[in-house]
Amino acid sequence: MEIVIKDIASSKHWQEPLATLEEARESTDEPETRDAWWEELRQEIKSHAKALGCHAVIGYSESTSICEEVCILSAAGTAAVLSCRLLQDGCLDVLIEHRLSRQLPLFPSGSDKVEFDLGSSGSLGCEDLVPLGCGFCHIPYDELNMPFPAQLSYCYCCRRAKVPDVLFTTIDLPTEANITGKGCLIQARLCRLKKKGQGEGNATCISSLLPFMEYELHTQLLNKLKLRAMNALFGLRIQISVGENMLVGLASATAVYLSALPCPGGIQIAGKTPGDLSYEQYMCNMQRKVNDTINKNRELYQINPPEVVEELIGSPIPEPRQRSRLFRSHSESSDELSELDLSHGKKDAFVLEIDDTDAVEDIHSLLTDAPTPPGFFSCNTEVMPGINNWTSGLQMFTSVRVFRLSNANLTNQGLNKIFNELCENLLKSLYFKLRSMVPCCLCHLNFTVAVPEDELIQVAVTAVAMSFHKDQTQDSNKSGEDRAPMKVITENEEQLQFPLELSAETTPPQPLSSAKNTGPSDGSTAGLGRASSAERTSPLPEGRSRSLRSTRSFPSSSSVTVVKMTPLSFIPGAKITKYLGIINMFFIRETTSLREEGGVSGFLHSFIAEVFAMVRAHVAALGGNAVVSYSMKECVFMENPNKNQAQCLINVSGDAVIFIRETELEASSTQTQTANTQSNEDTPA
Amino acid sequence: MSVELDVFVGNTTIMDKEVYQLWLNGHTVNDAVRVRMEGGVLEECEASAEVLLSDTMDQFRTFQMCERLLHNPAKLANQLLFQIPPDRQAMLIERYYAFDDAFAREVLGKKLSKGTKKDLDDISAKTGIMLKSCRRQFDNFKRVFKVVEELKGPLVENIRQHFLLSDTLARDYAAIVFFASNRFETGKRKLQYLTFQDFAFCAGQLINNWTLGSMDNLAEDMDVDLDKEFLQGLKDLKILITDKDLLDQHKSLVCTALRGKTKVFNEMEANFKNLSRGLVNIAAKLTNTKDVRDFFIDLVEKFIEPCRADRWSPVEMALYLTHYTNSAHILDTFRYQAVWNRYMGVIKSCILRMYHD
Repeated sequence: MEIVIKDIASSKHWQEPLATLEEARESTDEPETRDAWWEELRQEIKSHAKALGCHAVIGYSESTSICEEVCILSAAGTAAVLSCRLLQDGCLDVLIEHRLSRQLPLFPSGSDKVEFDLGSSGSLGCEDLVPLGCGFCHIPYDELNMPFPAQLSYCYCCRRAKVPDVLFTTIDLPTEANITGKGCLIQARLCRLKKKGQGEGNATCISSLLPFMEYELHTQLLNKLKLRAMNALFGLRIQISVGENMLVGLASATAVYLSALPCPGGIQIAGKTPGDLSYEQYMCNMQRKVNDTINKNRELYQINPPEVVEELIGSPIPEPRQRSRLFRSHSESSDELSELDLSHGKKDAFVLEIDDTDAVEDIHSLLTDAPTPPGFFSCNTEVMPGINNWTSGLQMFTSVRVFRLSNANLTNQGLNKIFNELCENLLKSLYFKLRSMVPCCLCHLNFTVAVPEDELIQVAVTAVAMSFHKDQTQDSNKSGEDRAPMKVITENEEQLQFPLELSAETTPPQPLSSAKNTGPSDGSTAGLGRASSAERTSPLPEGRSRSLRSTRSFPSSSSVTVVKMTPLSFIPGAKITKYLGIINMFFIRETTSLREEGGVSGFLHSFIAEVFAMVRAHVAALGGNAVVSYSMKECVFMENPNKNQAQCLINVSGDAVIFIRETELEASSTQTQTANTQSNEDTPA
Repeated sequence: MSVELDVFVGNTTIMDKEVYQLWLNGHTVNDAVRVRMEGGVLEECEASAEVLLSDTMDQFRTFQMCERLLHNPAKLANQLLFQIPPDRQAMLIERYYAFDDAFAREVLGKKLSKGTKKDLDDISAKTGIMLKSCRRQFDNFKRVFKVVEELKGPLVENIRQHFLLSDTLARDYAAIVFFASNRFETGKRKLQYLTFQDFAFCAGQLINNWTLGSMDNLAEDMDVDLDKEFLQGLKDLKILITDKDLLDQHKSLVCTALRGKTKVFNEMEANFKNLSRGLVNIAAKLTNTKDVRDFFIDLVEKFIEPCRADRWSPVEMALYLTHYTNSAHILDTFRYQAVWNRYMGVIKSCILRMYHD
């Protein structure tokens, strides 16, 4: 059973609740077989969640990667404890407003669903009041019954519950979460060579590689997180693509500093062969670089956690470890770089042991990640935590790169380096292209990797650049207002003069209405709404009709409607007045005159431009002026330059909407409109 | 190891003015990258050469895809493929149709045909404008010429509406079209000192005063052709030089008016008859298409050169032409005042514009 979640305000996540399961399978053509595999995978996810003491998996997604007859099925989500407390009487009327406005931002793409395991729902604990800003970080276990070892400390916000030192989650950051400074995009990238194989053997080979890749990606993420002086990841997506002779893994997430979690310790580099003077010197240099980077990042992302928390609250439990940590972070920020034993003897000291050349490479790659240029922020979640005052400047884009590895004798390291550079260069290109929009944030920056052929790596990105006002970026009070546009004003049946008479009696339940219980779908509300509309068949209220007209008749001189597109669920500074339905389009293009069309780049460039144009035209034809939750789900490109041919398949989807600028709305709206939140059943995954 | 494919497509098409200009100037991608690097864009944005190359490639591709739309600018506003904000569209069009005066000067008055197109190599070498850019500019001239050739109504307005150009640019194009269809001679050595803008100014004067459309807005014919009736009427002006009394009278009137007001009075007095003959003869010959072509060379040879030899200043020139024109009105036996005014108005402003080193 899939239920769109209503509220997770007090739900709990756990450090590493993320259960990513991957299975390499020999693909078969029978859909039943695949269904069975997925079923198995979901069961596994559920049991993992149960083992962690959680009864729900949120931010859940599934993906596949296919190469020849092998298929990797992946499922990932965040195990959580959902509290029903906020829905209970008493609290309800207080919190209902929060709920309405929070609902969409939490589950933007519509692909995030919750799987409830009803069996364990009895254990739902309705404990005492949990603060909104930090409640979701609190661990749901007592210290002695931890499902796995973790370092705990008292919550830095409320001082009452315990929190882990690091949090990895697949969900977007809850809007009410207390964060310090700004967030940033973090990527872990990894390539692993494998032998060409066939059938079962190949699948086994891949299966044996997967856990190591998962582990390494995880380590990279953790290192990079520490390097940015942050302590939590949101929107984590791990993608592992399989090719004939290699596996490519890419993990993206948005790192933030959660105020509730302890300040992350630095990274300490330890060498294996002490005594060698030049080696020690080298290590010392490395350590200094790492420390410099951390300090620089702290400045860049404005991470200045209040260190006086203890005095202010009067910490209830004096804990020696805690005090020493604070002290340590203090000494770190000072310039005593010679002190190598920054976190000596402490459990949370993060030691990177350099035991071979690989490790040296790893450290180098850590440090070579270019910082985002000034004026830019990037994240793979809907919006950047800490930035609220968006302007209407919006630029959605798709970028595709294919890299050819001409060198046949590549090592894993060489491959890693190339892949790393590919991603870094792509990011740099994006920043450069969009430099006219600064200050701006690249939101929903989602990479998709594929290995279409032996020596090809393909990376595709679709994201949106949104510019924001430079001042008052920290104005968190504004967030409530800014979220408001995400509320959807549904055009109810009551507003139509001629309701659909036939729909109630004759139409059988829509086959698609699995979302029946989640919210009003078009089919079911037609019948329900009619009863009330029959009683008061009032014509359109004056203001309403005016506002609608103003969006539909476009004042621009040209006959072409401007259609905005965004991968997000909202348009800043605008109100979505109507959802017009799902856009889900498949396009296939073929050419037998590749050279004449400007080569592969020319071919794909015009194709993607055409896809955009067709989506816009389709939306305009429906009377809409924007596409939200847009995504390019598939981009399969194949070429045969010798034959002068190429093929490409693209699948895109999104929601067609009518939006109205808030400035226009203010002019015409004095009437109160029932903000009927339409949950995103419009956008099933 | 190489980037096999690299594209970036925005929902709103991203275009950099600077890159667009490099493209229009006919640079190759690599040239453009080099120019941009020298321009310091790298330091500004912490980008690498690779990034710049990728960006330039993308934009060049976009421009290439837009080019066929730019051939009919009205289409640009109504196409669906690229979402381009109106101000950007205007920029694209304006710059695409912008041309180098040096280039325009070379082809001015030439037939916009394949023959001329073959000479573009030479023009490119001479002006230092890249061949690609020359081709674009030449094709633009030809395209505009072809479209407005068939249209009725005012020339400048037609160009502006059809190609969505700014007023200044539309006027320049009108001049080019006007010169091309009347095949004015501009290539002679004696005319080399004149710039495109000089000619464009003169063309504007001619279009506004001597064409059929200039007198009658509802005229069936176009602005491109000179008013035949008017040209015919110019023959009557001959009386100013053939009638000895009239010529003497005219001279004495002008001399009286100018005495003491100009340093070159003596030269002027001595040359009056020659100069007057020159101007009136030009008028009388304009019925002949071949002589129309020589209009500018005649003006230079018959009037500007003698004056320059006598070192008239532009102010003196203006003074002389004003009195020369006005004095004719006082001549009691001279009946062709309207034609005279229409003729001399243009001649005066043209000569004043052309009278420089």
